[in-house]
Amino acid sequence: MGALARYTARRLLGAIPTMLVIITLSFFLLRAAPGGPFEMQRALPPQVKLNLERMYHLNLPLWQQYLDYLGNILHGNFGPSFVYRSITVNQLIGQGFPVDIAIGVPALLGALLLGIPLGIVSALKQNSWLDYFPMAVAMVGISIPTFVLAPVMILVLAVMLHWLPAGGWSAGDPLYAILPAVALGLPLIAYAARVMRGSMIEVLNSPYIRTARAKGLPERTVILRHALRPAMLPMVSFLGPAVVNTITGSIVVEEIFGLPGIGRFFVDGAMNRDYTLVMGVTVLYGLLIVLFNLVADVLYGILDPRVRFQ
Amino acid sequence: MSLSKRIAPRHGFHLTGALLTLLLLGGCAPRQPAGEIHHYTVGTTLAPPAQQVFVRSLQGSPRTLDPSLATDVPGFNVLVDLFQGLTQFNARGQVVPGVATHWTTSSNGLRWTFYLRPDARWSNGAPVTAQDFVYSWQREVNPDTAAQYADSLSMIVNANAIINATLPPSALGVHALGAHALVVDLVEPTPYLPAALANSYFDPLYPPAIRQWGLAWTRPPHLISNGAFYLASEVVNGRLVLRRNPYFWNVRAVHLREEIDYPLSNSASKLDRYLADDLDFADDPAFPPTDVGWLRHALGAQVHIAPYYGTAYLGMLVHEKPFDNRDLRLALSMALERRVLNDKLARGLFISAYSLMPPLPGYTQQVPDWAHWPRARRLAEARRLYAAAGYGPGHELDVKLLYDTQGSAARQYMEALTLMWKENLGADVRLWNEQWKVMLQDIQYKNAKLYWSAWIGNYLDPNTFMHQFQVGYAMNYGDFSYAPFQKLLQAAQSSNDNAQRYRDFEQAERVLGTQMPYIPLYFYTSDNLVKPYVTGWHTNLLDVHPAQYIAILQHTVH
Repeated sequence: MGALARYTARRLLGAIPTMLVIITLSFFLLRAAPGGPFEMQRALPPQVKLNLERMYHLNLPLWQQYLDYLGNILHGNFGPSFVYRSITVNQLIGQGFPVDIAIGVPALLGALLLGIPLGIVSALKQNSWLDYFPMAVAMVGISIPTFVLAPVMILVLAVMLHWLPAGGWSAGDPLYAILPAVALGLPLIAYAARVMRGSMIEVLNSPYIRTARAKGLPERTVILRHALRPAMLPMVSFLGPAVVNTITGSIVVEEIFGLPGIGRFFVDGAMNRDYTLVMGVTVLYGLLIVLFNLVADVLYGILDPRVRFQ
Repeated sequence: MSLSKRIAPRHGFHLTGALLTLLLLGGCAPRQPAGEIHHYTVGTTLAPPAQQVFVRSLQGSPRTLDPSLATDVPGFNVLVDLFQGLTQFNARGQVVPGVATHWTTSSNGLRWTFYLRPDARWSNGAPVTAQDFVYSWQREVNPDTAAQYADSLSMIVNANAIINATLPPSALGVHALGAHALVVDLVEPTPYLPAALANSYFDPLYPPAIRQWGLAWTRPPHLISNGAFYLASEVVNGRLVLRRNPYFWNVRAVHLREEIDYPLSNSASKLDRYLADDLDFADDPAFPPTDVGWLRHALGAQVHIAPYYGTAYLGMLVHEKPFDNRDLRLALSMALERRVLNDKLARGLFISAYSLMPPLPGYTQQVPDWAHWPRARRLAEARRLYAAAGYGPGHELDVKLLYDTQGSAARQYMEALTLMWKENLGADVRLWNEQWKVMLQDIQYKNAKLYWSAWIGNYLDPNTFMHQFQVGYAMNYGDFSYAPFQKLLQAAQSSNDNAQRYRDFEQAERVLGTQMPYIPLYFYTSDNLVKPYVTGWHTNLLDVHPAQYIAILQHTVH
């Protein structure tokens, strides 16, 4: 087994206790929150409440519910939703996750395809208008929160100009994904550009770049062959958490555009004490964070020869 | 009905915020987005069948489309189009015959026989039978179903015993007489039974679908319904598509080909999508009071603000100090300037309430005399009662008022309210804010002595409001008990004469007003936006809008 495979296996094994801690803390914190899933303005007759608790095994001791839950998720079963009574958490996640992917992937691609070149150009044309202008735009992109940016885009592009839908979702129709993806992606592009610019400037001032230039290598070769790869390292560190943030951070975008993603389930579940729904989304988010941090670390090692997988 | 409309969970940021941002970014933006408001030329004839698609919003995603399990307003709004009970709502929210063509009652009012139309069909073409109702109602009270509204059937013989698992579901006082007659036995006369039967939890169910699919029977394409529409697709939190049910007995009167429902809990998004022509009907867009003026100016007759069958009030633990004192309760109620709170602060989105019952045809609202007194006299009496209760300078009332987290408008309302008590009486009432679920628990566990509350009636009868103060009723959170009131209430509930019942309820409410176990604040209004080319849509007390009566008129947009 190669060093990389051993490293990956070790990290994956290390993720098990991490996930167990996440699940345990989330489970008990959620149950400790006041208010229950069946609390309504209209008080339930005691027997009806008992019947509900029996149906969802809430009548069992908490430790037993916890062990049952662990057993279920080991089988990939997140259980029934307490609030959406005719649908399971697996079904809800299976329905919502593709929506988050559909807006998250273009947002990330935008960060890569626009943010990185903008950062490179800014670094190469440092202190010129080609540096000031993109960086000023990037600062604006970082500074304006999504809950401001998204309604402005809706107002202008949907309400005033009627170019794009103001919200909603239609699977397979890319028009519905444009505004949410842009709202999600603009801050990412801005971050990526800032990170890339800083990294590239640092690399361009390195002794080995000076050496390459001194050898008379063409600037194009210096940039593409010698500067780009090391300059990408901070981008890898940035992109790992960015992938997770794009998916978990889409809650605001989902709410504003009325998208059926898992972020809304998460918020809705938390507000309504839908224990299984919140746990299901938490476990998914936890897995994604562990997974993409691992991917970022592995990529870092591949790109940087100084890193050894031991 | 679970409370859906609370004080005003008005959105903090929408067009105003967007425009302010545009102003910051781009220089000068108008206060109102007048440029994007469309105008319509509407004809008098129906649009072609292909254009008979009605797009509406829901306040959120229905929790379930199982009529026995639904508890939420979005669910009820969809179920009214999917299913039809023995009775149904018409376009004006009145209860009219549904699957039942007519019914008879025994002389003591305890046995009702409903006669079903023989042409009623499920969406798969199977006939709707009386046995489908028996199955549905037995399932509703069956403890294994764990239906949250099971006790809504408690007027039927043995319902409570079945819910409590002391009798089997088959003991429920309902049985079929052949395929098209249903006999219902009641524990007490219930003249409002036809009104109650229009609610979803009395809808029939198609047993084979439930037996085959279990709880998943509500997922398309398994859901078999008997209403004007069937469920074609559903994406939770996304959209629902309902199509005209070709087997519906009255399908020829249904003009809409399709209904599309978008669950939108975000009010700002709802308004934006209405303005962007994505919606024909934006239900309860919850515009902030400050936006009412410009919306009315910009949208004119598209804005529908009408009385709604709900009352907001402050509840109290009346068996504990300090609210065990009737004088104090009356003083607090009299000291509020409701017109300032509702007309000025809420800009008329609320209607000042001095009593419990919202306006109901045939029922005379019991407004106390002091509500008509000049302000000075009313406040003088409030101060006298406050002093008689033992409070005054150096010994002010000091209590917390619990309300839920609903945004700045609610907080403003509550702050104004407590300020009035401070200025008019000297009382120190501190605000205590909690998340909705936490607040409900604190109220139900009696951790709060004074709390915000509200009730939306689910059938047009005084009983739905009045029994909240009945001894032994689960929602009598304040533990109010006053023999004269209970006696009148029981007389009303056991009467078979509707006119006499209403008089008894009125008298009961007058007595309630003298004891003031609650502080009425306001009656709700329904606020809706409806495009001018939508016909068959009418405001009504229950804010129910069955799509079977709705059609799209020929129109051009400019």
